[in-house]
Amino acid sequence: MASLKDIRAQIASTKNTQQITKALKLVSASKLRKAQNNIVNMRPYALSLRRVISDVAVTQKVAHPLMGQRKDVSKVLMVVLTSDRGLCGAFNTNINKFAEKYIKENKSRLEKLDFVFIGRKGLEYFQKRNVVPRESITALDKDISYNLASQVAGRLLKYFLSGEYDEVRLVYNEFKSAISQTVVCETLLPINLELSSFNDEINTARFSKDLVFEPTPEAIVEQLLVKHFDLQVYRSMSESVAAEHGARMTAMENASNNAKELINKLTLTYNKLRQEKITTELIEIVSGAEALK
Amino acid sequence: MKMTLVTPEKKILTGAEVDSVLVPAYRGELNILDGHTPLVTTLDTGIMRWKLKGSDRFNYAVISWGYCEVYPNGIDILAETADLPEDISQTEAQTFIEKANKRLASESLSDSDYADLSRMIKRGEANLEITKYKN
Repeated sequence: MASLKDIRAQIASTKNTQQITKALKLVSASKLRKAQNNIVNMRPYALSLRRVISDVAVTQKVAHPLMGQRKDVSKVLMVVLTSDRGLCGAFNTNINKFAEKYIKENKSRLEKLDFVFIGRKGLEYFQKRNVVPRESITALDKDISYNLASQVAGRLLKYFLSGEYDEVRLVYNEFKSAISQTVVCETLLPINLELSSFNDEINTARFSKDLVFEPTPEAIVEQLLVKHFDLQVYRSMSESVAAEHGARMTAMENASNNAKELINKLTLTYNKLRQEKITTELIEIVSGAEALK
Repeated sequence: MKMTLVTPEKKILTGAEVDSVLVPAYRGELNILDGHTPLVTTLDTGIMRWKLKGSDRFNYAVISWGYCEVYPNGIDILAETADLPEDISQTEAQTFIEKANKRLASESLSDSDYADLSRMIKRGEANLEITKYKN
């Protein structure tokens, strides 16, 4: 049986932990708000970009290697997006499990399967399992910027265009709400304009025939597609960051609640023990006095 | 006419009424006034300016790559970055240009890196230029 002093120490340490988890939760909450703002700020740009691509590409019937669907995909580059820090529940585990499952299921089918890890947690997980990354980017501690995303996107694009890979896939946590994230695996390249996300916004072609293009429609579409791809990467990274903070917030909330429960239980035990001790002492005194009579 | 200027990181104008817009277009400076021909063009790195309706002063921003679409009653501009005068510090722009120039001189760069870097320098120079307008 633990002594009173032991329990007191345990209560104190649990209280400390609770304070830390509470603080972490607050920090995550404010970071989450910022991350959500980022996503909202990006939306007008994303919508306009998508609209003009579909307008220009559809009305001008422009084809581009970035849009060409390939029949048999045998060389895949998988981008695994995780966070740098832990303490965010199953956030990273879900991603890593998904990627691992993907390897198991597709390894034999594919001629080549390489990985790019963004975020330290994914890199560490797969390094332990002897997966050599094609490239890895860590130290995402600061807020991710569009600049960083477009650098990453540029490198992925280069791999794809050189013919090294037939397909670039991305697995990341999609931000649903502060308490729910879902693992999503999507094909980044080739860009698929048939996707529903493109079609919702095409109402009618607004372009008249005598529209002036500077430079040519082909050149414009090419640039727009590259920007679109940059934005896709940026969006996924922003979503992942928002999801990470959401996940951490929930995890820390749970931890704080657990700490509270634990403190209650310990306090109860502590008081019981204390009472028992007092009772024992009283009995001793009373029986001592009785014996002297 | 209505103007919209957005970047991936922020929206600067959405549907604001403007009288006149000057942009660094693919083939040189382009002034867009009411009744301009419908046009689709890409934008270079440089200073763009616009005059809000009823105002007699230009607003400035430095943009770096952009897409501009002129339709009968408005303009949509998508810029990759847009630096507003209030976000720019003169000393920062200066040190940035110096650093970039040093890199340009000392390292052997691939074509695309070279293009990126010279674009960054151009952006820095435009930023520096804009700080002069402020005062």
